[in-house]
Amino acid sequence: MMRAAIVVLLCFASIAIAQNYDYKPDPNWRAPYSAVAKPNPLASRPEATPGGKKLFLRNCVECHGEEGTGLLKKHAADLQLPAVQQQSDGTLFWKVTNGNPDRGMPSFSKLPELQRWQIVLFLRTLSFQSSGSK
Amino acid sequence: MTPRAAVYFLIILFSAAFSSAQESPYFVTYDHHMEEPGNLEVETFSTVGVPRSGPRAYFAPYMEMEYGITAKWTSELYLEAQSTRGDSTVFTGWRLENRFRPLSREHWINPVLYLEYENLNEASRIQKEIVGSGPEFAEPNSELRHTRAHELETKLILSSNTHDWNLAENFTVEKNLSQNEGFEFGYSFAFSRPLGTLASGKQCRFCRENFAAGAEFYGGLGSTNGFGVRGNPHYLAPVIVWQISDNASLHFSPGFGLNHESNRVLFRFGYSYEIREFGSRMARLFGAKP
Repeated sequence: MMRAAIVVLLCFASIAIAQNYDYKPDPNWRAPYSAVAKPNPLASRPEATPGGKKLFLRNCVECHGEEGTGLLKKHAADLQLPAVQQQSDGTLFWKVTNGNPDRGMPSFSKLPELQRWQIVLFLRTLSFQSSGSK
Repeated sequence: MTPRAAVYFLIILFSAAFSSAQESPYFVTYDHHMEEPGNLEVETFSTVGVPRSGPRAYFAPYMEMEYGITAKWTSELYLEAQSTRGDSTVFTGWRLENRFRPLSREHWINPVLYLEYENLNEASRIQKEIVGSGPEFAEPNSELRHTRAHELETKLILSSNTHDWNLAENFTVEKNLSQNEGFEFGYSFAFSRPLGTLASGKQCRFCRENFAAGAEFYGGLGSTNGFGVRGNPHYLAPVIVWQISDNASLHFSPGFGLNHESNRVLFRFGYSYEIREFGSRMARLFGAKP
């Protein structure tokens, strides 16, 4: 029994090591028009931004880093880049909600809708940070 | 269900309606949310059962290691045991489960496919799922532990998120490869909601956003030798989860047996801790470049 348990644990370890962290931007990861046009219901509530930062640090920082510049080893997007910041709130919300599982970005639909909007609110503050931080 | 139990259930439901925890509060039912890739969640859960009559109360702890292999594939290893009052404590076996999410986007209903191999003995009582007529209670552990069962279990998991509520339905089919018992069936339904939907800016333990509550209904549906709800155990169980820190949570669920085939109560509780970046840490340990 112990031997079987050890074999299974080793299988787990080998699976972990075999992960592929390669990331390339996915041109097919596009939000539908109905999502793009959605406004952020918290846009007029900047006091909700610190909550967004807390959620970002809890859920996103592993791949995108504290400054949102994206960790190289995770091939994660630099959220300060104009290519990200020029996307609409609705698009960012859709991407947080759906993720891009085929490219390693998980879905965060488990978060309540308002919390996902809070994350979008916080993402907007990243564009004002030092662009030389990468 | 006693009137007091019904009042507790309504209180939890009421509080849920007014109210964020990220962890699923469910013990039996699966939703479509997968473990994040590279993270390992270590969970220690326990089931305490109080049968209606005859057999004595038992305590069945189990340890669960859940790893996100990819964003669409989660794998879990279980190690479980059981201790019966006035009887003995036995290791009851292990399980290896895999969940696959076939669709990439969020849909109105999100299906997940589930496949599990179980290497257990008949003393297993964690009741992570209930199939057929439920576990064996009449025999002592000394006899049950010698009857081994190699089982394959599949589930169809359907789950939806709507207005911050999660609704999940599971249909289970299990085949004991060691004995000719036919196929056994089980079900579970669940709903839950976070108590707070807006995150506060400060770090707090007792904020409403850190709690989620709901209820589960689960039970056996017999087997190919006799399918149906009658003569099989069924439970109604309020559930609550408290996210005590960024990566740790406490879970609790008092389950109430709905018929004579059920235990009077099934208390379930547990603690889970998420180790982030477990995959990368393991890779570094084995010499991979950072």
